Amino acid sequence: MRRALRAFLSLTAEACRDGLRRRFAFVAGAVLLLGLGATESCTTLEIGAVSVNDRTLDPQTVAGFLAPFLFAVQALLVVVMAGVLASDHLARPLEEGSALLWLARPVDRAIFAAARLGGALGVALGAGLILLAGTAGMLVVRQGLAIGPALLAMLGTALSCVVVAALAMAASLRLGRTAVLLLVVVGVPLIAAANSWALASMLIDPQAEVGGISGVLLRFGPPLGFGIFGPVSVWNPYVQEAHAGPALLRLGLWAFGAFGLIWLCFRRMELGAGHSD
Amino acid sequence: MFVFELDSVTKRYGRRAALEGVSLSLPAGTALGLLGPNGAGKTTLLRLLLGFARADSGRVELQGRDPLDAASRRGVGFLPERLRLPGTLSLRRFLRLHGRLADRSGPELEREIDAIAELTGLRNRLGERLDQLSKGLAQRAGFAQALLGSPGLLILDEPTTGLDPLGVREARTWLEAARERGATLLVSSHILSEVERLCDHVAILDQGRVADSGPLERVVRTGESLEDAFVRIVQRERAPSA
Repeated sequence: MRRALRAFLSLTAEACRDGLRRRFAFVAGAVLLLGLGATESCTTLEIGAVSVNDRTLDPQTVAGFLAPFLFAVQALLVVVMAGVLASDHLARPLEEGSALLWLARPVDRAIFAAARLGGALGVALGAGLILLAGTAGMLVVRQGLAIGPALLAMLGTALSCVVVAALAMAASLRLGRTAVLLLVVVGVPLIAAANSWALASMLIDPQAEVGGISGVLLRFGPPLGFGIFGPVSVWNPYVQEAHAGPALLRLGLWAFGAFGLIWLCFRRMELGAGHSD
Repeated sequence: MFVFELDSVTKRYGRRAALEGVSLSLPAGTALGLLGPNGAGKTTLLRLLLGFARADSGRVELQGRDPLDAASRRGVGFLPERLRLPGTLSLRRFLRLHGRLADRSGPELEREIDAIAELTGLRNRLGERLDQLSKGLAQRAGFAQALLGSPGLLILDEPTTGLDPLGVREARTWLEAARERGATLLVSSHILSEVERLCDHVAILDQGRVADSGPLERVVRTGESLEDAFVRIVQRERAPSA
C-alpha cells in the first residue's frame, strides 16, 4: 500500500508537470486571463435602470439573474479544459511508448491511469480554482452575492471535471484524439445546456415533466449543468432553493463510475502492440 | 528457482500465431539469449512476461507471480527495443522517477543516479532534456534506467541498438558486471556474437515456436559458432518434414 501510494504520488507529480509543459497550458492560461478579465469588466459595470413590465429592478436582482450565467459559463470552460487535457494524457504516452518504461516497473495499471488522470485534473483544477475563486470573489464583494452557492458550484465543477476527464480518458483508449476532442467540446456544452433547460423548467414549475433529450439526460446522464448551474441559481432572488445535493451526489457516483471505466478499458489493453518481432 | 516460466503459451494476433505452445523457463542467475528471425515472437514473449499482453492460453509466471500483478516486476530492469523516452524530462528527473518506482529515495537514490550516470557515460548530461540526447545517448539513458536500483532481473530487447562499437563494448561490461553481482539476464538480440559472449543459455524461436533451447554448449555443436547453430536450427525447423 505504501509502495502504491508512493508510486501514485511520484507519477501524479510527473503527470502534472507533463500537463504544464504542453502547449495546451498556454491555452488554459489564456482562458483563465480572459475569464477573469470578463468578470472584472462585468462586475465593474454600472447597471443602469432595468425595467420589466414597468417595474424597475434593483441592481442586485439584475446581478442575481446574470451572475449564475457568468459563473456557469466559466465553470463549463474549466470542465471542457479538463476533458481536452485528459483526452490524450494517458493515450499519448501509451502511443509513444514512453509509458512502457513506467509500466515495466512494479506499478499497477490502475495506479498509472489514476496518476495520469490526476495530472490532467491537477492542471485543470488549478487553473479552474484561480478562475472560479476570482470570479466568485468579485461577484461576492462587488455584487453582494452569497459565497455559499459559489463554493457548492465549485465543488460541482470539480466533480464535473473528474467525470468529463475520466470519460475522455477512457474514450481515448478506444477512439482517436479528434473524436474524443469533439465529444468533449460538443458533448459538455450540450449536456450542460440540456440540464440547464430542465433545471429552468423545474424552477418555473416544480411539477413539470421534462421530456425529450433533456429528460433522458436528466434521468441518466452526468448532471454537469445541475452540479454547476444548480447551486448558483439561488443567486436569482426568485429561486428559493436549488436542491443541489442530489446532483452533486450523482456527479460523485459518475466520477467513480467514469474512473472504473478507464480501469476496465485499460486493465486488459494490450501495450506495445505492433512490435511483434 | 525459475525467474520466469512459460508453459504451453499461445498468443495470437488475429489469425496469426505469434507464439504457439511455447514452454520456456529461466533459472535464477543465468543469462538467456533469446534469438530468432524477424517475426519469430521474441518481443511478444517479452511483452507477455512484463504483463503488457495476455496469453490466449497457457501459463506465464514472472518471479512466481502472474505478470499482470505489479509485484511480479519488483527488481526488474527493462530496456525495450523501440525506446521512447519522455522527451520533456531531464535525464536526472527521469532517473529519479524510475528510482522512486524501484523503491529508492533520498540521498541514496541521488548517489545511485550519479553512479549509474558515471557508469553509462552520462555524468555531464544529467541536466539535459531527454529529447536533446542523440540516439546513442538516449540508448545509454535507457540502459541507465534499466540498471538503476541493481535489478535482479534484466530484460533487454535489442539492447545495443543505436550504440556505436565503443558503446556496444561498454554495454557488454555493464551487463557482465550485473551478472557478476548475481543478476539474471534475458536478452533478445539479432547480434549473435554479443549473445555468445554474454549468455550461457539460448532459446531459438522460429515462427512462434521454440526451435531449440538450453545451455550454449549444448545448442552449439563443437566447431560451430552460434551463428552456424542458429542457421542450422532454423533451417531444420523450416525444412519440409519427410
